Amino acid sequence: MLTSVLAKTLRDQGKSILAWSAALVLIVAMYAAVWPSVRDQPSMGDFIDQMPEAFRSMFATSGADMSTPTGYIQIELLSFMGPIAVLMYAIGAGAGAIGGEEDRHTMDLLLSNPVSRGRVVADKFLAMALVTFLLAAVMGLSLVLEGRLVDLDLPPGEVAATMLHLALLGVVFGSLALALSAATGRTGLSRGLPAGLAVVAYIVNALAPLVESFDRIQKASPFYQYIAHDPLRSGVAWDSVMVSAGTIAVLVLLAILAFRRRDVAA
Amino acid sequence: MPTETMVRLTDLRKRFGKNIGLDGISLTIEPGEVFGYLGPNGAGKTTTIRILLGMLRPTSGTSEVLGLDSWRQPVEVHRLVGYVPGEPALYDRLTGHQHVAYCAHLRRRDDRKRSLELADRLGLDLERPARTLSRGNRQKLAVILAVMSRPRLLVLDEPTSGIDPLVQQVFHAILREHTAEGGSALFSSHVLGEVERVADRIGVVRKGRLVAVERLQDLAARSLHQVRARFAEDVPAEDFAGVPGLRDLVVDGRNLSCSAPQSALDSLLKRVSARRVEDFECAEAPLEDTFLSYYGMDRNGSTENTAAGRHAD
Repeated sequence: MLTSVLAKTLRDQGKSILAWSAALVLIVAMYAAVWPSVRDQPSMGDFIDQMPEAFRSMFATSGADMSTPTGYIQIELLSFMGPIAVLMYAIGAGAGAIGGEEDRHTMDLLLSNPVSRGRVVADKFLAMALVTFLLAAVMGLSLVLEGRLVDLDLPPGEVAATMLHLALLGVVFGSLALALSAATGRTGLSRGLPAGLAVVAYIVNALAPLVESFDRIQKASPFYQYIAHDPLRSGVAWDSVMVSAGTIAVLVLLAILAFRRRDVAA
Repeated sequence: MPTETMVRLTDLRKRFGKNIGLDGISLTIEPGEVFGYLGPNGAGKTTTIRILLGMLRPTSGTSEVLGLDSWRQPVEVHRLVGYVPGEPALYDRLTGHQHVAYCAHLRRRDDRKRSLELADRLGLDLERPARTLSRGNRQKLAVILAVMSRPRLLVLDEPTSGIDPLVQQVFHAILREHTAEGGSALFSSHVLGEVERVADRIGVVRKGRLVAVERLQDLAARSLHQVRARFAEDVPAEDFAGVPGLRDLVVDGRNLSCSAPQSALDSLLKRVSARRVEDFECAEAPLEDTFLSYYGMDRNGSTENTAAGRHAD
């Protein structure tokens, strides 16, 4: 279990991974449980249509129909709760990756072994990315399996595609947190800044149809790469995957370069 | 293997913002040598050590271990070095065994057997998680982790401050075995007493500068004798002031007291015996006192009452 920095990092998170997974299973179960009553309540769709446009853009992906399984899940889970859960984990793990070990003063112990700083950053990144994908997979699996119990039938292929995009969204912000953590060693800053930016990116993407200046920068928002192409209906958008993967690669590279240049806190 | 210098620090400087951490440290440590690195807290000992380990980037100057640069080739340097930090930070949830396993994997070695043997000698239970260990036991685990891979250089930052005297003896034995195999050690402390039994040379660092480097043997030769004499009648101080090397001379009526190095004893005795002596006492001072009188550190490592001049050679 303790064969590498990667294995050790995953091992350290064992209990927290279980807790996150359980939470995701329960969240999805909650949405599944509510589904029958929403479906039988056609007025829900009217209710959403009557909401102010800005409000609808913020909390419901436009064009989704609440009375269909995909529309319901898109509005209820994918627009808000799903991203929040995945981002919370990924940003927390990224921020704690380097700074956390410095806060606990164990970085000296780790680095006094023949392990390069680049290796440490790379392994911490891999751990964060693997767990983010795992959590997305748990969410996707819960959606498909729990959905079947209540006739909330979702296409498994498209769910998988959506979860891929969701995981990439998480890893982009997690990598930003990791880069800040590697460059500064300050856990609070590395957590707060990406969280704030995620909110901004969310708003930019959601309000782009209404605000002209947002419309111009919408495509730079990771939320645009995640949801704009409606993955639950249209599957994987490879161009979005490439943009996300490229962003992640640049951030991890910056994290390695920054950590190799600075003093390690005792 | 030819005797290649183990550690070479060349004009090492480190600034932290406006504060100067190191102000030009140069020193070498040879194979088989234990170098005692002495200085008060905050003088730059830990900064030197962390530059040597590649944790800090020197502002200027270089640090090399067997010719490898600490900052540019940290992985190669770490393969040669075992490090015991002053405040050993461990992974709270891991046991001793798990620490051993993790570090051994990172070093791509199998050190389990050696770690068991060391734990047995030091009297440490490797089954317990680190968070339940006392300071002394954490120190022991840190020593095991540093020593088990048989490094060429041991870097010890005040390693015995939490360890009881019996364990300290075991620790010194381990250190002697290490040097007998050609290994070197850099051993930092704020008191001479901690290093005098193991160090071959000592360096004194103060405010980021190395103010003295000395063989312990030479220091012992300069060791001072505490001399006290009572005469039958009052004596003038000038009679004794001329003796070379004499320190702390006090003449008060019929009483004389002073500290004298070996070299001054003959001349001092002749002048004393020229008068009628009622009482005479001569005792060799502990090395610590000699050291303090030369380098003016008090026993807590503070340098406020700097009495003597610098004796750098």
